[in-house]
Amino acid sequence: MSNIEDRKFLEGILSGDEVIIKAFYKKNLSYISGYILKNSGNEADVEDVFQDALILIYQKLKSDSLELHSSLSTYFYGICRNIWRNRLRKNKKMVITEDVVHDEEGIPPEIIEEIAQKEREHVYRKHFLKLSNTCREVLGLLFQGNSMKEIAHITGYSEGYTRKKKFECKKSLIEMIEKDPAYKELQLTPEKK
Amino acid sequence: MDRTPEIFEKIEGYLNNTLPKEELLAFEKEISNTPALKQEIEKHRSLHVTLSDQDTLEFKEKLVKISTEIKKEETSSSFFSLFWKIAASIVVIFGVGTLFWYTINNQDQTQELYAQYYEPFPVEDVSRGEDDNALQDVMKSYRNGDYSIVISELEELPNTIKKDLIHLYLGNSYLNTNQEEKAIGQFESIQKNSQYYENTRWYLALTYLKLGNPKKIKPILQEIIEYNGVYKENATQLMNALTK
Repeated sequence: MSNIEDRKFLEGILSGDEVIIKAFYKKNLSYISGYILKNSGNEADVEDVFQDALILIYQKLKSDSLELHSSLSTYFYGICRNIWRNRLRKNKKMVITEDVVHDEEGIPPEIIEEIAQKEREHVYRKHFLKLSNTCREVLGLLFQGNSMKEIAHITGYSEGYTRKKKFECKKSLIEMIEKDPAYKELQLTPEKK
Repeated sequence: MDRTPEIFEKIEGYLNNTLPKEELLAFEKEISNTPALKQEIEKHRSLHVTLSDQDTLEFKEKLVKISTEIKKEETSSSFFSLFWKIAASIVVIFGVGTLFWYTINNQDQTQELYAQYYEPFPVEDVSRGEDDNALQDVMKSYRNGDYSIVISELEELPNTIKKDLIHLYLGNSYLNTNQEEKAIGQFESIQKNSQYYENTRWYLALTYLKLGNPKKIKPILQEIIEYNGVYKENATQLMNALTK
C-alpha cells in the first residue's frame, strides 16, 4: 500500500534528495515532537529519535527490505514511538504516560528487535560527525579498510602524521562515545548480538 | 586499560588480519588472558563495522543539516508573520479573500485557545498586617473584575510589599484591559528564584497566545514543562494544541 505522495517520499529518501527529505521532515516533525515532549523528552530527544527512525527507513530502502503495510507516516510514527519507548525503558527514571503495551502500531517484532540493536550505531554516528574534518577523513579511510600507507597516499599527509592523527582521532571518538549517557545505559543492559 | 598508539595498531592489525603469524598468536593469547583487552577490541570492531557504512553516515549528515535549516526558518518566522500581515493587507486591498481568511483563521485559533486556558491568577490570602489593608481593598476590586481600578491602585502602591504578587496581579489586570505589552513587562520582571516564577511564566505564555504569537510561546511552555510543577499538564496540552 503506498500512495503517490508516499512513493515520492520513499524515492527521495533513498536518493538523498534534500528537498523531499526536508518536506518529509516538516510534515512529520510536529507529531513526533508532540509525542516525545509529552512523554518526558526534550527537543534534543525529538531530533535524535526523528533522525534515527528515518535512518532505519533509509537503510531498509537501501537493502530493499522495507515492507509497508500502512501509510508511510503511520509506519514512521510507529518506528519513532518504538525507538522512544525503548530509550525510556533503558533509562528507568523516566515514565511514559501512554499505555506502553497497547499499541505497537503494526510494527513487526523483528523490527522492534532491530531498533534495540541499532541503538549503539546511532551513538557512534552522532559522535563521528562531531569530529574535525581531518579526523573524519583519516578515520573514514581507516574504517573502509585502508592501511596507513594507503591513507597517507590518498590524503597526501606523511605516514607519520597519518598514524598520529589516526590514533588521536580514534581515541577521542571512543572517549566521546563512552561519555555519552545513552551509551552508558546501553552498556548496563547489553543487547544480544 | 591504557589507550596507546601501539595497542591501537595491534587491534587494527588483528581486525584487518594483517598481523604476522607469530604476533597474532601472541596477541590471541594476550586477549584470552585479558578481559579488558577483549572488550576494547569489541569496541573497535563495532566502530569499524558501523562507521564503514559511508552512505548511512552521509544520510545522517544530511538530516542534521536539514534539521538545522528548519530550526533557522522557525526563528526567522517572526519576520514571516510580519510578511503575512503585509501580504494579507495587500490581498485584502485587491479583494481576494482566501489568504486573508487563512491568517484570520490562525488568529482565531489562538484566541480560542486563550479563552480556553486563561483564568485570572486567583486572589491569595494575604496576611492581615497593617501594611496589607490597602492590598486587601485592591483585591476586592480584582475579584470583582474591576481591573482598571486595580491598575490605578496597584500602580500607586509602594513596591516594597509583596512585590512579586503585585507584578502578577498587575500583569493579569493589564491582560484583561488589553494592555498586553505592559502585562509582558510585569511578568518578565519576576526573577527565576521567586516562588511565583512558574506562575508568571504561564501567564507570560498566555499573553503571547492572546497576541497570536505561537513561536514565542513554545520555548516558555517548554520551560514550564521542564519545571515540572502545577502548570505542567496545562502547558503540555497547550503545546500539543499549538503544534497540531
